[in-house]
Amino acid sequence: MHQYELVFILQGDLDEATLETAVETVQTLITNAKGEIVKTERWGKRRMAYPIRKMNEGYYTFISFHHNPEEIVNLNRSLGYNEQVLRSIVVRVA
Amino acid sequence: MTESRPRESREDRGPREGGRRYVSRPKFCQFCSDKNLVIDYKNVDMMTRFINETGKIRPRRQTGTCAKHQREIAKAVKNARHIALIPFEGDLWADSN
Repeated sequence: MHQYELVFILQGDLDEATLETAVETVQTLITNAKGEIVKTERWGKRRMAYPIRKMNEGYYTFISFHHNPEEIVNLNRSLGYNEQVLRSIVVRVA
Repeated sequence: MTESRPRESREDRGPREGGRRYVSRPKFCQFCSDKNLVIDYKNVDMMTRFINETGKIRPRRQTGTCAKHQREIAKAVKNARHIALIPFEGDLWADSN
């Protein structure tokens, strides 16, 4: 188990309820693969530095977690498949 | 009598043509002198300090950071660009308002 952090951007035009479930889906993505979430920070809706998929606003969420290195590939793939996720980044914390 | 010939010292010569424009910079790497300061791609205010107005990563001769920390900064800037915290090119919010 290593410590990682994940930042992902959800579409800015989603309503509160869909945002909530979208964040939960990503959280279960980690917990279902036996990862441990340390904390979740919602940065909220903010303007992106450049438009992504013709959208100017995105909903930013930060998750700090412990995970198996082998599972990170699957996590990245699942995030890519999720259409509500505009961008994501997983960084290993030293 | 080898030293009788007047020699031009480096200071007497004018600014060299095509040389780098001189920009005053801090003498010490700020990350080496302050161990509590961590390079973080999530910190927008920090990241904007290390890019110029066109969005490029500022060179070491301007920021004064050491080689080790400059590498970390370059990595962090690229991460920050990926999640659209800072632009790949141009000023942040140059087109707004």
